[in-house]
Amino acid sequence: MIPFEGLFFFVVLAVVLAVAAVLGLCRISLKWYGLAVTVLMCVLIYNTPQEFAMLAGFYLWELVLVMAYLPIRRRCAKRPVLWLFLLLSAAPLITVKLGSLIEPLHIIQLFGVSYMSFRALQVLIEIYDGLIDDVGVAEFSYFLLFFPSLSSGPIDRYRRFTSDLATKFTREEYIEMLRRGFWKLMTGALFNFVIGNLIWQRWLAVLPENGFGATVSYMYGYTFFLFFNFAGYSMMAVGASYILGIKTPDNFNMPFLSRDMKDFWSRWHISLSTWLRDYVYTRFVAASLRGEWFKDRRTGSYIGYIITMLTMGLWHGLTPAYIIYGAYHGLLMCANDLLDTRSKRYKKLKKKPVVEVISVIVTFHLFSFGLLIFSGRIV
Amino acid sequence: MDEKIMEILEEVCGAEPGELEPDVELFEEGILDSFGMISLFVELEKKLGVKLEPTELTREELATPAMIIAQVKSRV
Repeated sequence: MIPFEGLFFFVVLAVVLAVAAVLGLCRISLKWYGLAVTVLMCVLIYNTPQEFAMLAGFYLWELVLVMAYLPIRRRCAKRPVLWLFLLLSAAPLITVKLGSLIEPLHIIQLFGVSYMSFRALQVLIEIYDGLIDDVGVAEFSYFLLFFPSLSSGPIDRYRRFTSDLATKFTREEYIEMLRRGFWKLMTGALFNFVIGNLIWQRWLAVLPENGFGATVSYMYGYTFFLFFNFAGYSMMAVGASYILGIKTPDNFNMPFLSRDMKDFWSRWHISLSTWLRDYVYTRFVAASLRGEWFKDRRTGSYIGYIITMLTMGLWHGLTPAYIIYGAYHGLLMCANDLLDTRSKRYKKLKKKPVVEVISVIVTFHLFSFGLLIFSGRIV
Repeated sequence: MDEKIMEILEEVCGAEPGELEPDVELFEEGILDSFGMISLFVELEKKLGVKLEPTELTREELATPAMIIAQVKSRV
């Protein structure tokens, strides 16, 4: 069973959410129920002995690492210790990704490993920061395995997630969550199954495999397809979360209205871009500023953009298309920043309505070309 | 203390002294970006000894100079 695909999943989901709605309306905490159905869903999703063993191994590995790091951090705030734990925590993810290059590792596959690993890494980093000083086994297990966002995100944050678990929503608040959750589920389904599928069948599937015109058409078609497909998945995941009493953050916010690439990354796959901003870019730049590594302070930021976006590419997979996609976005972010900081003329001009419209069109083409690289059609 | 924090903020934003209104929306107006935010955290740590972790507060909690000043002062 794959989340948000096939009739069986949706029948199970409907039953699970209907019971959640009754419990929520009766103001009964959804924490234990949510954890129980997450375990049930994991059994159904990882339905071969190998898959389930792989998930169980991964889960125990991450749980042991987090539980071991907590007392260690209380005594020792040394950065290399954090690095060691991060490396160990990311080891399953790295192994799965390397499987595409190294044949013997190919047998190690784990559905959802990219998303689950980023959840676990985030917990370790915030333990180091002193922002998380206690982790419950039930809370961490539920957070790590939370089934609606297992396959395609969004990537939630532990402190935000557990604050929802601890909140006793009023009946009115839960009715509002139920209404929004249902609306998001329906809109997501429309985006994914109707619009996304139509674009695929009527536009992309009938295009010739080669030719400049076909590739340009593919670029536009793929951009719209990916948005409706991916935003649709995300909305369904967020919708199901709301009904389970978890306000998983939205992952998309009208990306086609982006005025520049920085704006684009605050609107597209938001939970991934903010994760990378908070745990990769910010950390690197802060270290470069504290250590005064560069003459020009902004140099650290540019290198930070390249590292962050390459990480984003590698996170998707170790293929040339994904790596070039990451490098492309790193360079675009640098160009965006240079324009913002070095050109006073651009700073003045960009607030004019005509320039805003042109910026939206240019940005759309820049990220569409990026998605064409991402699609693997031209690389 | 307020002036000191404001001075640091103006410096990282590249603003003239007195140019920033206390209630201006720093991110929405494009005055502060991710880099500016990190620079602010590093400078606050260096000059005032106030350590803020990157994900300790959301952008909504640090949206204006007045909000930043209040957050920093509560940690001194």
